[in-house]
Amino acid sequence: MAKVKIATDWLGGCAGCHMSLLDIDERLVKLLESVEITSSPITDLKHPPEDGVTVGILEGAINNTANVETAKQMRERCKILVALGDCAVFGGIVTMRNLVSMREALQRAYVETESTVEGQVPSAPELSRPINKACPLNQIVDVDVYIPGCPPSADAIYHALSELLAGRVPVLTNENLRYD
Amino acid sequence: MDEDAPTRGGGRGAGLTLTEEMNSAMATVTLKLNGQTIQAREGCTILEAAKEAGVDIPTLCHHPALAGFGACRMCVVEIANEKKIHPACTYPVSEGMEVQTETPKLVQLRKFVLEMLFSERNHYCMYCEMSGDCELQNLAYRYGMDKWTYPSPNERMPVDGSRQYFIMDHNRCVLCRRCVRACDELVGMRTLGVKGRGSETMIIADLDVPFGDSSCVSCGTCLQVCPTGALIDRKSAYGGRNADVTKTKSICTFCSVGCDTEVVTRAGRVLRVDGVWDGPTNGVLCAKGRFEPLYDTRDRVTSPMVRQDGRLVPVTLDEALDAAAECIASANGGGISALATANAPSECLDSFVALFRNKLNASPAAIEPLLNGLDLPANGALADLDSADCIAIVGADPLEDHPVVGYRIRRARNRGAKVVAVAQNGASPSQLASKGAGAVSVENAVAVCRSSQWPVVVYGPGVCEDQVGQIKELAGAAKFLRLDPAANAAYAARMGLANGSAPTSADVAYVMIGEREQNGEVAQRVANAKRLVVHAAYHGPLTEKADVVLPAPVWCERDGTYVNLEGRTVSARRVLTPDEDVLPETEVLSRLSARL
Repeated sequence: MAKVKIATDWLGGCAGCHMSLLDIDERLVKLLESVEITSSPITDLKHPPEDGVTVGILEGAINNTANVETAKQMRERCKILVALGDCAVFGGIVTMRNLVSMREALQRAYVETESTVEGQVPSAPELSRPINKACPLNQIVDVDVYIPGCPPSADAIYHALSELLAGRVPVLTNENLRYD
Repeated sequence: MDEDAPTRGGGRGAGLTLTEEMNSAMATVTLKLNGQTIQAREGCTILEAAKEAGVDIPTLCHHPALAGFGACRMCVVEIANEKKIHPACTYPVSEGMEVQTETPKLVQLRKFVLEMLFSERNHYCMYCEMSGDCELQNLAYRYGMDKWTYPSPNERMPVDGSRQYFIMDHNRCVLCRRCVRACDELVGMRTLGVKGRGSETMIIADLDVPFGDSSCVSCGTCLQVCPTGALIDRKSAYGGRNADVTKTKSICTFCSVGCDTEVVTRAGRVLRVDGVWDGPTNGVLCAKGRFEPLYDTRDRVTSPMVRQDGRLVPVTLDEALDAAAECIASANGGGISALATANAPSECLDSFVALFRNKLNASPAAIEPLLNGLDLPANGALADLDSADCIAIVGADPLEDHPVVGYRIRRARNRGAKVVAVAQNGASPSQLASKGAGAVSVENAVAVCRSSQWPVVVYGPGVCEDQVGQIKELAGAAKFLRLDPAANAAYAARMGLANGSAPTSADVAYVMIGEREQNGEVAQRVANAKRLVVHAAYHGPLTEKADVVLPAPVWCERDGTYVNLEGRTVSARRVLTPDEDVLPETEVLSRLSARL
């Protein structure tokens, strides 16, 4: 049987959810018998293939114009889109910046942090631009499966992937459903 | 806030006597709950009946110590032949009623409410102090909430840190109004309220002033009822979830009410003190019992000390006891003055009396005035304040010295009981008196009590001789609540401790002062003694003058019983192990006794 293709990517996040994905540990080997990871931030290939994948997994909130593009591309190229972690599901830590103005947030991050010397807000034209308010994935594209958690536990991710491989919609309960 | 508003119905303990509650408990109705036939007390709510039957209906704004409110709609149930769904926390049971508590329709509605609550303000759990113990989070877990349909919150709410002991973070508030209701129904202060409508609604203090500038008495009841991380205890925040901590039932030993407490500890540290909801004080504590003990910055006596060449030097306990025994034995003819704080547990007072009266024939005395000498009854209970229609305060300042009694009086006043305060030289507890009543003469107070059905007289150390005679006329007609200045005064009186307020002329003085404040006044009483032994938990003016200092444990470091103002024996528990040189007073006194 052909392997199920999975692509992952991260948006405005901390990579913690991908660390949790790797924390599946030896079960990854078993998983790779039935799954092909076509692309991810932790492999050489970064973008989902044009001919598409079955499952697309996105970590992080939508924070800038590049995130919007990445999310839309993944949505176009996957059958089932999974929001991985609190930022992708709810907005999470990334949306704390919504509580202040964009100018204040940039000033704090690039100029005022205690460890910064003579900082300045980046403004190169090739950089993406922050969107007005950071938001969860489902405010930009349709999402099929939600795995909350900061980060979701390896067990929760493994459970969700196993259920998808078995052709079922994953339902997270008990220890697998956490917001912290 | 409005002071003399009419009684609000439904409040728990609002005038229902025990007998009335028992009578109403006898009438029952039969109803069906999720298909199962159950019996329930007539007049109780569906929620109470379900709890009794072991059926768990989810709640958020409801709190068992507060009257039903029906704000959050989490507890909604379906009732046969009713078009609408109803909140179980306010809907009374009736004969033949058929109730469903967990239908797909209800589950969907609850999820809907939860998603709305989560997206209204900042309810991101990952950096919230309450995560793990949060009632909102638990409900979301229970109903498998894995997304929000509505946009994430963007509005930044203020955080009020103007109070010393706890913080209000409006970002975490779900507007359940438990805090507002606790402040009214349990504490009687009515400091908290709401302003605005809909999503603009905010919890406020008084007429929207910073909490620290308001009439808030920092009793912390609101903090304890808050279901989310909106009210944050500065000391225990992030200190441990319920699963990580140890909770020990104890009592507060800072006044003679002896409120039930639950002391929360982790790894040898007291994190916080909680009230106990099913205790006689309904979970209410005051700042003195809940917060202040954790903020005591006085210098601890950690080692026995003996004065050598004019300076106190640390010695072993045996050396200190030898020196203390030598001091006491040196009093030939000149006498021994033995003073103990009546804040000490009964067991300590037993040992104290056994040594100084039974063995050394001295007249042991209490540091604090004992009111049993007033020859007034002390037959009242806290619950009497709940059924009183008239309360007279004579020579006492309950809000200051016995705050939980003060809160009860406020509660009584709020539901319409007449509260009169007898004018004293200087201060009167005018904050408690009913509007228009002000400070009255003792004759007036007695007259008002006489014209009432269930009067209660609350008296304290400020009562004058002539007032005693007059209020004594009310004996038999009124209940009397005695507010002694010391926590274990009732037991000290039972042990026959003398009044130790006069300066002593004895050669040797032994002062067991424990944690009590060592003000100059106490030091003055023993100023004439040539030799001074002080048994204390903290350094102060008294230990400075002492020849021998024996270390004493503090409230959380020893087991002990107390007799409270109702005459009930209540037990304080040891939750922390003191330093090895700090032994219980009973042990120190028995070792001292063996040397004499």
